[in-house]
Amino acid sequence: MTRPRLFLGAALLVGLAACGPKPVDPRRQIGANPYLPPIHQYLVPPMLVPKIVPWGGAAPTVPAGLQIEAVARNLHNPRSLYVLPNGDILVAEADGPKAPIKRPKEFIMNLIEKQAHSHTKAGNRILLIRMNAAGQPSAPTVFIDHLTSPFGMVLVGNDFYVADTNAILRFPYQTGETAITAPGVKLTDLPGGPIDHHWTKSLTASPDGTKLYAGVGSNSNITENGMPAELDRASVWEIDRATGARRLYATGLRNPNGLQFEPQSHVLWAVVNERDELGPDLVPDYLTSVKDGAFYGWPYSYFGHHVDPRVMPQRPDLVAKAIPPDYALSSHVAPLGLVFYNATNLPAGYRGGAFVGEHGSWDRTALNGYKVVYIPFKDGRPNGMAQDVVTGFLGGDNTVRGRPVGLAIDKAGGLLIADDVGNTVWRVTAAP
Amino acid sequence: MPRDNPRSTASIGGHPLHAMLAPIPITCFIATFITDLVYWRTAVILWADMSDWLLTVGLLVSILVVLAGLIDFLGDRRIRAHRAAWIHGLGNGLVIILSIINGFIHTRDAYTSVVPTGVILSGLVVLILAVTAWNGASLVYRHGVGVRSEDGQ
Repeated sequence: MTRPRLFLGAALLVGLAACGPKPVDPRRQIGANPYLPPIHQYLVPPMLVPKIVPWGGAAPTVPAGLQIEAVARNLHNPRSLYVLPNGDILVAEADGPKAPIKRPKEFIMNLIEKQAHSHTKAGNRILLIRMNAAGQPSAPTVFIDHLTSPFGMVLVGNDFYVADTNAILRFPYQTGETAITAPGVKLTDLPGGPIDHHWTKSLTASPDGTKLYAGVGSNSNITENGMPAELDRASVWEIDRATGARRLYATGLRNPNGLQFEPQSHVLWAVVNERDELGPDLVPDYLTSVKDGAFYGWPYSYFGHHVDPRVMPQRPDLVAKAIPPDYALSSHVAPLGLVFYNATNLPAGYRGGAFVGEHGSWDRTALNGYKVVYIPFKDGRPNGMAQDVVTGFLGGDNTVRGRPVGLAIDKAGGLLIADDVGNTVWRVTAAP
Repeated sequence: MPRDNPRSTASIGGHPLHAMLAPIPITCFIATFITDLVYWRTAVILWADMSDWLLTVGLLVSILVVLAGLIDFLGDRRIRAHRAAWIHGLGNGLVIILSIINGFIHTRDAYTSVVPTGVILSGLVVLILAVTAWNGASLVYRHGVGVRSEDGQ
């Protein structure tokens, strides 16, 4: 009796670990109606994190008609970018707070994370780079120091706002200033630690400047830290600039980043990181307009009414309300940067649409993302297939030289890319 | 009548290591079943986290328990002669394989880390433990494995 059972047990272990779902072509998961395969819950989840090698003299690859150069190198975890009206480029150097160990799994996850991210300790400050008349960048200088995992930045009039992971701070700014030493004044708290799973707080302002919008990511992959930890998270907050009063503008967005107003329609858009561990091709990350009062599914469902069995208690009433996002970007690409291109430096094919910075996957064997893509827009809506624009972040032999995060457009119309593994800010312009 | 009992090879000062350590994983695996049941009924994530720790500690200590048990098993032919020793060893091998699978299931996030596969495996492990622990007890209390012989050997 015992021997065959023992054998059965061993066969089960080997069998479950080896079999996986058939891979899906990422192109089938790009656009308004992505193919969604059945859920596959792993026994042993795949984790593939490429080995970091330095850029050396190399640079990412751009298509014909474009050129790329480094604006700043040897930074400390550059995560997000903002361009001031006078053309000065701001770079937020940040990493997340130390995560508490709640389960044995987190020991392993922390080790993998360490490998995946930059080995440089983050500055947790904002740097300033000034371009001279010849278009040459200055060496970066400290603009604001001693911040707490800063990510979002926006200027409204003379008020410069920084979204630290736990608060929005306001600093006084005069055009041309290269450093702010005045202490920040807190406009509102944001959900921070002790658990602070998705810590990047994206920030933008309404076109009329009266409201701020902050992206507040979920505090877990899929509620495994308990529902109380998710209070006011997985949402976009609307904050009144005058009073600091806030409300939840949209909910069910697992990790919204790159908040931007589409320049033609003045509608708020975001890129969102969807949930992990439902298979290599679930759930696709996405780009979406963020509608006032809308619920986008997390944690109860994805892409509309596809229920996630891991959430208990389930909420059919909320699933019924969930709306699908506008444009899938394919699975686990980890979009963290979004910028609409309204300038004229880049060729006509890149105007009017959106660039998305894809940090890249870590939980599937066929790597996905690790590039900047362009999505054409027409009348304020995505219109056509995403195109690769900046690639070459991955080297051969399972190596990675950089990972794109935040994006911005500089005063001359160049596309800026923060690379938090290569510790570089790249600038893409039209080739002469 | 003087009796020469089968000896425990892995022992300290005459105290068998296997018998000293075995209660730890047994307790952990039974407690895993209980915390799994409570999580299944309440969906309060703390219980699932406790299951995860209990399984991990149970499996880590099992490494020592298995080593000590194997040394005893190989160290005295008279132990191997008992059918109960074979059922005990193979049954607990199955317990460990199922618990390793269960450990991976428990690394999943939220409800499906426990329901249904996790709690089913935890329950199955407790059932097998009832048989193997009975056999283990037979080896000591009936066959005197590791029990000090009356002649002081």
